[in-house]
Amino acid sequence: MLWQRKHILGLENLSKEEISHILQTAKPMKEVLLRPLKKLPTLRGKSVMHLFYEASTRTRTSFETAGKILGADTASIAVAQSSVSKGESLLDTAKTIAAMKVDLVVIRHAASGAAAFLAEYLQAGIINAGDGQHEHPTQALLDMFTMQEEFGDLTGKKVVIIGDILHSRVARSNAWGLTKMGAEVTLVGPPTLLPPEMKALGVKMSHNLDGELEGADVVMALRLQLERQQSGLFPSLREYSRLYGISSQKLKKTGRKTIVLHPGPMNRGVEISSELADSPMAKIEEQVTNGVAVRMALIYLLAGGTSNVMA
Amino acid sequence: MLWLKNVQIVDPAQDLAAVRDILVKDARIFEISVTFQEEEVQAKAEGETLEVLDGEGRLLFPGLIDVHTHLREPGQEEKEDIASGAQAAVRGGFTSVLAMANTKPVIDQRALVEFVRAQGERAGLARVYPVAAVTKGMQGQELVEMMDLAAGGAVGFSDDGHGIQNAEVMRLALEYAKLSCLPIISHCEDDALAAKGVMHKGLVSARLGLKGIPSCAESVMVARDLMLAEETSGVLHLAHISCRQSVDLIRQAKKKGLNVTAEVNPHHLIFCDEDVQLTKTSLKVNPPLRTADDREALLEALLEGTIDMLATDHAPHTWEEKARPFAEAPFGINGLETSLAAVWHYLIAPGILSVKRLLEAWSLAPARRFGLAGGSLKPGQRADMVLFDPDRTLEIKIENLASKAQNTPFLHTKLQGCPVMTWVGGRLVANRE
Ligand SMILES: [Zn+2]
Repeated sequence: MLWQRKHILGLENLSKEEISHILQTAKPMKEVLLRPLKKLPTLRGKSVMHLFYEASTRTRTSFETAGKILGADTASIAVAQSSVSKGESLLDTAKTIAAMKVDLVVIRHAASGAAAFLAEYLQAGIINAGDGQHEHPTQALLDMFTMQEEFGDLTGKKVVIIGDILHSRVARSNAWGLTKMGAEVTLVGPPTLLPPEMKALGVKMSHNLDGELEGADVVMALRLQLERQQSGLFPSLREYSRLYGISSQKLKKTGRKTIVLHPGPMNRGVEISSELADSPMAKIEEQVTNGVAVRMALIYLLAGGTSNVMA
Repeated sequence: MLWLKNVQIVDPAQDLAAVRDILVKDARIFEISVTFQEEEVQAKAEGETLEVLDGEGRLLFPGLIDVHTHLREPGQEEKEDIASGAQAAVRGGFTSVLAMANTKPVIDQRALVEFVRAQGERAGLARVYPVAAVTKGMQGQELVEMMDLAAGGAVGFSDDGHGIQNAEVMRLALEYAKLSCLPIISHCEDDALAAKGVMHKGLVSARLGLKGIPSCAESVMVARDLMLAEETSGVLHLAHISCRQSVDLIRQAKKKGLNVTAEVNPHHLIFCDEDVQLTKTSLKVNPPLRTADDREALLEALLEGTIDMLATDHAPHTWEEKARPFAEAPFGINGLETSLAAVWHYLIAPGILSVKRLLEAWSLAPARRFGLAGGSLKPGQRADMVLFDPDRTLEIKIENLASKAQNTPFLHTKLQGCPVMTWVGGRLVANRE
């Protein structure tokens, strides 16, 4: 297909064809990544700006690595979280970036819609690297890429996503993306973290993990923000872990060869047991590698690379 | 003397909706008749110069009275000031406005009430009536000197902008305000339930990943205030009602005969949460736009009288403040210049709301509830009136707005129905001709 899109703001509005195209493009990117000499001249002369309003070494490093392998010039503006309210407005930052004539901006921001906001005010292409509780499309794409590596076609595959769904941009993007790819998604969490309005995502919801594990091909544990306990959203880590934490023992209920994903960083012993995280079922390190490949694919598609990727 | 001919006068106070001639003299309505003869009018003018205006195809209303505006002066004049707000008011068809007290400083002393009144008089456009705070500094703790503030010209008391969280403070306010006979205007919002949300808690907030404000954040406090009003026999006015649950509670309270009135904002009748988008901060408002079902309940309540009044909740903010990601932009919709046209366009023109009900809700009921001049065109009344053209289209453009702010969801749209001339005390203060 001919790639038309200028921005990746979320998966809600992407078509199945577009998602497939991104995942398809990521395959040769991963091959490049596995070569001893990882460097392509594809995006020489293109500039990518990373604008991170939330501390996230993993995601930022992943994007920077992806851009550098493709030969793009990358620069970063890291804005300390504490100074956001006092610092210049996102609009002023956008104007500064516009003046620098960058080709692509990767943004991570605590406010839902921050990426769409930049897209309205900038000429550059925008990649959403996580906006508030809204979407985290590159995470969902790398998750789907990892699943495809394991299962091929995702049609009919059963994916169980567990945890703080309400506050999770990862869950939202995965729900949109996986549904489009034909997977059967079930969201699982306590009623306070999976309230009734989450049915807006159009997937199955349950508060009972044990009842949902049978037949699961993929189990994804979300990172639990420990401060949610202070807001009264769950009574204790102990009870949370007992009800919604996953372990090899619990995963026996799936009755099949299940893979385990986690967007990281993990709270070992809370949402995932240490032994499970280190077991062969867990594809958590593979996710990190695939993250670079998927981000290479996106930067390549959006920055309009000209030469052949396979070169 | 002004002789306005052949105009469709709609005035619910005298049960009038017919083509008439109307004479205005010495700042007051002088006489209304099916038609006047030239010599007759000359005689009545008693030598005053006679101005004749043909109102054919137009409607004449008692000037609209808006019981909920934020004019931002003193302290936030970059958003609006009393003069620019009053200018926006008369251009929008409003001849009187109530100015809320959440300015900087808060209007909690007599000198400040007198300042707001004086600024309104200096502007000489719409009548500006100050609402004083309920508690000192709007801290929700100690009551203001209500009697002194009333003597200085306050027409009601409100900590609008926040709900009064402490039920005992609210109870005391309703009790003490009986001395002044003025209403306590309640902004019903339980802070703990609202939990720093930014839009209605529901399917749309879940989809957009925005923190939600549940309907119960309002209805719980509506229930509390109604119970307190019942117990104290206080005078209660409920600001910006936004959800079905609140409407049901008010309906029950009115059946019991409580001294309670309620208002609804036009945006809650026109939009719902499905219209909210992450980059559309002009629809970020508090209380938030709720569901289509809530909108239906509000409309029904307005039509049947459970909701007594329309009010804009005019809340101007600068362009820069609204040019932020949704969660970071301030709450508020700029309303004075667009609301009448918008209500006409969305509710009157399609036949959902009658002109008579519109004027009861936006002129007569506000005048009665807050004891203000206006609300009617009966002979002897002060000539606060609006000439309205139902066929004329109003294009909402930045350069057309008198308000200092442009945070209206109707920007760059066209609305059918437009106030063309506005008189306050017989003086022409806005003219789009
Ligand atoms: Zn309010």
